[in-house]
Amino acid sequence: MFEFSFFAQLDWEQIREVLTSLNIGFVKSLEIFFLTLLGSLPLGLVIAFGSMSNIGIIRWFNKLLVWVIRGTPLMLQLIIIYYGPGIILGNNWWGSGATGRFIAAMIAFILNYACYFSEIYRGGIEGIPKGQYEAGEVLGMTKSQIFFKVVLLQVIKRIIPPIGNEVITLVKDTSLVRVIAVYELMWDGQNYIKSEGIIWPMLFTGVYYLLFSGLLTIFLGWLEKKMDYFKV
Amino acid sequence: MAILEVKNLKKSFGELEVLKGIDFSLEKGDVMAVIGSSGNGKTTLLRCINFLETPNEGEIIVNGETLFDASQKENASESDIRKKRLHFGLVFQNFNLFPQYTVLGNVMLAKELLEKERPDYKQNKKQIKAEIEAEARMLLDEVGLSDKLDFYPHQLSGGQQQRVAIARALALKPDILCFDEPTSALDPELTGEVLKVIKSLADSNMTMIVVTHEMSFARDVANKIIFMDEGKILEEGSPEDIFENPKHERVREFIGGIGAI
Repeated sequence: MFEFSFFAQLDWEQIREVLTSLNIGFVKSLEIFFLTLLGSLPLGLVIAFGSMSNIGIIRWFNKLLVWVIRGTPLMLQLIIIYYGPGIILGNNWWGSGATGRFIAAMIAFILNYACYFSEIYRGGIEGIPKGQYEAGEVLGMTKSQIFFKVVLLQVIKRIIPPIGNEVITLVKDTSLVRVIAVYELMWDGQNYIKSEGIIWPMLFTGVYYLLFSGLLTIFLGWLEKKMDYFKV
Repeated sequence: MAILEVKNLKKSFGELEVLKGIDFSLEKGDVMAVIGSSGNGKTTLLRCINFLETPNEGEIIVNGETLFDASQKENASESDIRKKRLHFGLVFQNFNLFPQYTVLGNVMLAKELLEKERPDYKQNKKQIKAEIEAEARMLLDEVGLSDKLDFYPHQLSGGQQQRVAIARALALKPDILCFDEPTSALDPELTGEVLKVIKSLADSNMTMIVVTHEMSFARDVANKIIFMDEGKILEEGSPEDIFENPKHERVREFIGGIGAI
């Protein structure tokens, strides 16, 4: 039987070894993913407020930052942030170990995603009708009460879909850190091409990404549903 | 003593002078209708009175207390302006309810936030909240929405939403309640239910300023009418004066043109 012989040919020992290795890489990818969100979601809000500031210099600084970060490849930013200090300033802040490389990668990722999020936040905040603020004002609310009690939840509802888009993109962008030798899921998979001449571990990495982004899609859909009780 | 005096109120947006010196005063229980064609400063007048715009000149005096005086260039703090605002309520043309709160929540929110500043709030939290809720339920009953307390704004008709907005404004017990074309965003069918609520407020001696295009409503409910034209009050008087013996050709044209009588 074909099927029987196909499975008979499988080297279960090798598969187990590959999965063990991919799991280690996947944990690293997850670390990058969650730490990036943890840092960039709040930092994005700061940049969003900065780019809406009434103070010209703050506004322009933030707009410039967003332009540069969104206008250049994340891979370039990783390389500059990791190698830049050592080569330009003659002082390698990151040291020579894996920890330094990981920190450099996290800074690049957090800054990059914060800039994308800031534009989503800004769109969400500016999209709230002026009447909502005015209704709060004539009811004697303070500016911060209006923001936190009236505006914020409406903004969150509006931005979940575009934020979700970025979050899904981030899942796959984590693979970029390999450019400064932070070892994650895809790095582990590709190793088997070099060391054993087999490509199926690469296909396995694809399954990891698919499953994880599938879970996220379900979660994001649930979150959107949670917000269905009101309309903006 | 007049409950509200507005003196020589002027407001410009850049080069455009929208209000060119508005004077009027209201006694407690007065219902003043502000009429005139669009673009003549009616809404700006209401927005100035409610501190949504800062007038360039003039004074606003409530119960003898000067709330605003353009010649006094002090920088009022946010909390000062809030206190002054609470003398007024404003009902908007397009309701501006808070979509994520229920009907009851919309009416309670501002009062709850205000009461949180009371020194005894923490100790008597439960009791204070219960009072606010009881008050809100009563107001919603008055506007005929006691069966919609847990509904969200998008589940209501425009007329129901506007009635919630009226209850929401009343929750803060304003001295003067202002309406900015409260029925202009409504189907003719729904206009009546909102006007009925405003009329019942008038009957309960609420002082109100109503910017409106509903001429029959202005005539029947208001005891005072001002006709605004090009940023000025062209004519003012009782409904009889304005509707039956208008002094100005412009007013006669406007009322005749609308064909309200």
